[in-house]
Amino acid sequence: MDGPGSSERLVILALERFGVWLRSIVVCLCGALGVVSADAADIPLAMSVLAPAFLACGVRLYSLRRPGLFPLAVLWTLDAAVVVLTGLSQPVIGGEAADVMVEAMVGISVVAFQYEWATRPVAGAALAALGAVVFVLGDVLSSPGHGPDLVPLVRMLIQVVLSRAAYLIVRALARAADRSAAVRAAARREMEVAAARRATEREYLATLHDTASATLLMVSQGDGRDWSWLPPRAREDLEAMSAVPGFETGNVDLAALLGCVPEGEGQTRVRLKTRIDGPLTIPSGPGLAIFNGVREAVTNVARHAGVREAELRAWVEGDGAVVELSDAGRGFDPGSVPARRRGISGSIIARMHAVGGSASVTSHPDSGTRVRWRWHGPARVPQAGDGAQATGVPSPPRAQEQHTADIRFIRGRLLYGTQLAVLLISLVWQFTISLRRLVVHQDVYRPAWAQTAAFVCLAAVAVIGGAYLLRGRQIPPRVRWWSLGSVLAVSAVCAFTLPPEQSTGAPDWAFGVVGWHALFLLADLRVRVYAAFLGAHVGLNATAVFLSGAPTVAQWATMGISTIASCGFQLSVGVLMTYLLHGTAPAAGTAAAREEELRTRERIHEDMQRDHKERYRALTATTVPLLVGLGHGVLSPHDEEVRLRCGVEAARMRRLFAESDAVLDPLLNELRACVEVAEHQGVTVSLAVRGRPGEVPVEVRRELIDPVAVILSRTRSTARVTVVWTPRAVRVSVVSEDCAGGRGTEEAASWHGRATNAQVDVARTMRGGSVWVEAGWRRPAASGVDLT
Amino acid sequence: MSDNAPVSVVVVDDHPAILSGVEAWYAASQRPITVVGAGDSVREAWTAPGSTADVVVLDLQLSEGGPAFGSLRRLVDAGRQVVVYSMRDDEKTALNCLDLGAATYLTKSEGRDHLVEATLAAADERPYMAPALAGALGTNTRADRPQLSVREENVLIEWFQSESKELVAQRLGISVRTVNSYLDRVRIKYANVGRPARTKASLVARAIQDGLVDVDDL
Repeated sequence: MDGPGSSERLVILALERFGVWLRSIVVCLCGALGVVSADAADIPLAMSVLAPAFLACGVRLYSLRRPGLFPLAVLWTLDAAVVVLTGLSQPVIGGEAADVMVEAMVGISVVAFQYEWATRPVAGAALAALGAVVFVLGDVLSSPGHGPDLVPLVRMLIQVVLSRAAYLIVRALARAADRSAAVRAAARREMEVAAARRATEREYLATLHDTASATLLMVSQGDGRDWSWLPPRAREDLEAMSAVPGFETGNVDLAALLGCVPEGEGQTRVRLKTRIDGPLTIPSGPGLAIFNGVREAVTNVARHAGVREAELRAWVEGDGAVVELSDAGRGFDPGSVPARRRGISGSIIARMHAVGGSASVTSHPDSGTRVRWRWHGPARVPQAGDGAQATGVPSPPRAQEQHTADIRFIRGRLLYGTQLAVLLISLVWQFTISLRRLVVHQDVYRPAWAQTAAFVCLAAVAVIGGAYLLRGRQIPPRVRWWSLGSVLAVSAVCAFTLPPEQSTGAPDWAFGVVGWHALFLLADLRVRVYAAFLGAHVGLNATAVFLSGAPTVAQWATMGISTIASCGFQLSVGVLMTYLLHGTAPAAGTAAAREEELRTRERIHEDMQRDHKERYRALTATTVPLLVGLGHGVLSPHDEEVRLRCGVEAARMRRLFAESDAVLDPLLNELRACVEVAEHQGVTVSLAVRGRPGEVPVEVRRELIDPVAVILSRTRSTARVTVVWTPRAVRVSVVSEDCAGGRGTEEAASWHGRATNAQVDVARTMRGGSVWVEAGWRRPAASGVDLT
Repeated sequence: MSDNAPVSVVVVDDHPAILSGVEAWYAASQRPITVVGAGDSVREAWTAPGSTADVVVLDLQLSEGGPAFGSLRRLVDAGRQVVVYSMRDDEKTALNCLDLGAATYLTKSEGRDHLVEATLAAADERPYMAPALAGALGTNTRADRPQLSVREENVLIEWFQSESKELVAQRLGISVRTVNSYLDRVRIKYANVGRPARTKASLVARAIQDGLVDVDDL
């Protein structure tokens, strides 16, 4: 895997922005409050300390918009400067309010640094340590003689560790989401690539059938006819074979193409009555498929219909085109055409399917034949030259569905991660910071047992919710609302059993922690709901204070800053979670989909190039030299040896076509394809099979059958072909009673030497005019054993 | 039966063209073969003069219905030598007939080359194996099949493939006689397994007597 996945990357980015914004807002807000509350005499000095800090925050915010503008060392120095300056402002401003404010600023900053520097934990930890040092220093400087207070320091440490843990949890879940998305994407990609390869394969075979295969078959059956058409045809065939199908892009005018459909020559000429409502602009893939199909259908009219005239019509239909070729010839029964005859199924129908169109053949004996091609544009108009639909990339609605499912998955993982993180914060906070406060201040509460009960109740909420989460389940709505009610009740109990002057102060263990409990309960809902809860929580505490008389200004200030430091921070985390779930998750899904599409395209392109080379190489040794020779007049169709070689190649191609048939016994099917070519030439072939058929890989089948193709093509009268399946081996044999000699028989034997890795053994025995060639392949152990 | 004694045959086949073809082949035989009865029903083999024939040539697929395994079994149980002569070219049928105790199994396409020889061999209680049957035995995977050597299996399959003992002999570098002895030995091994029948026993006995197989081999 190259680098972090899209979810992880975007989560880290979102957290960094969150950290910088949170810290900047808190520093500026608390700093401004500090300046305002300071004595008039201290204001210039306070300003001179805090203004650079504000400036540093501004620069840091600006750097978010222009990543890479500042070196990391500069950014780190800026962050360090902010924390040092704010810490130093404590002795400058002085007073109770300054202590609270600076604690809030430094406390939030060290937490925020863990997100800002999430990918560089050492830098984050160093900043946190610096914050702690500055905090202690500020404390000592502002109240000399006092030893440093350890409690806020420990609290700060807990918060830093919790932030780091929360980050690690969320990142782990984002990573997991990326990994599993990658696995599913890879599976999808394999399917798409396979589909595209199959489509190209079909197209290639159809082209081969109409071009080289037809030409070679004609030459092999050759009699003393006029061969003047042969050289140009052979050259055209070569060109068609070497063109990579499926890579045509852009649009063509179908009307212009149909104007070029050859009518044939001499005896096989078919006069076309053409009625075309042009122009018919369609993508070139379907355009060429229709053109090639029509060409094949016109030759079919000449060969089979028994008429010399056909009507070709084409018209626009919706955003597509329809082409129709009809003749009044002898017709046929489409149901009775054997599966291995590929003129209609391969050249016409499969070829149209491969480009997303359709073709139909309507015919009855004695009532003519009508072939109709139909192509319609996809719902989404493809960009010119994007070539996506030619390479078999899935249709838009399915892709959309897939995309939504991906986003939902990423969102689910992120939600789970953030919930776990917040749960961890709730529990750790409650059992360290809160528990200490509860124990130390037992004498303050009225009554104390109510506060203890509230503590237990809050712990129960966290444990119940945690049990659901850790088992990977959603918290059921009933449990959720009951829990939330309990949390609110805890807030109320604690607010009303605490002396009002202590509200949000050191003995108020609940004020800062209930927000976390509510957050993991409400994580999947809109942030508004959470804000409402926090409002109710703060309102309850404010009410408790008000009911016992109006508070002093100092009380106001402490309460306000505590509220911002705890509830404000919690609310900001709530906003961050909403952003992660509804901003980052879709963005990550989209980014992943885009990367995926790119990768799929690349793979398809690579595979097609490789497949094409593979196919061409397979034919280079055999068909291509023949076609080149015929195309340039070096080989003559009058030469019997040339005709025999053409017959061998035609049989090999028939076997190749049969490879794509879905049958139970492909070996026998491909063998029959070769036998049929021989029978077509008037050879009597007896075919016998013994034993139970098993599986044989396609490359082994090729080598097993090739000797049969070679020998049969050279046989003049009688041959016997057998297939013997034993538990250990499969043996294909051909005996020819009268095999035309020359290179051919050697060819069959030398095939063995050509591909030694397939482990096919070929044995050859000659006696008089008889030639017996047997190809055997040892089967993998234990396959095909009959246990009955 | 001595090697030149005349042989009498009853032919059961429901196709008149086949009947006349078979009679023509028999007429051309050097050793006299007389068709004492012919007809489209197994009754021919049970009533005189067919009931006295040395060999019964039986078409498995008579017009009455499925393969006539029942008729074959009754003839074998009565000690008759039966040459099954069938349209069916599948190993299952061939193996079943052999198990029931038929002298040999021929497909119709093998008639011209093998029927006369097969008939004479049956009359002499000697083994005979045509290529279609050899193919069936060579690919037999039934649990109750006799143990064959690799060479025996090869000879069976190559005889099936080439239909020429000369070609098999040339490929394996052995004589045609040796090819024959491999085929005979396999046939005897098959006679020695499965359903007991008197015809099988006599085949084995004759083979031991002729020195085709050793008692220890079996």
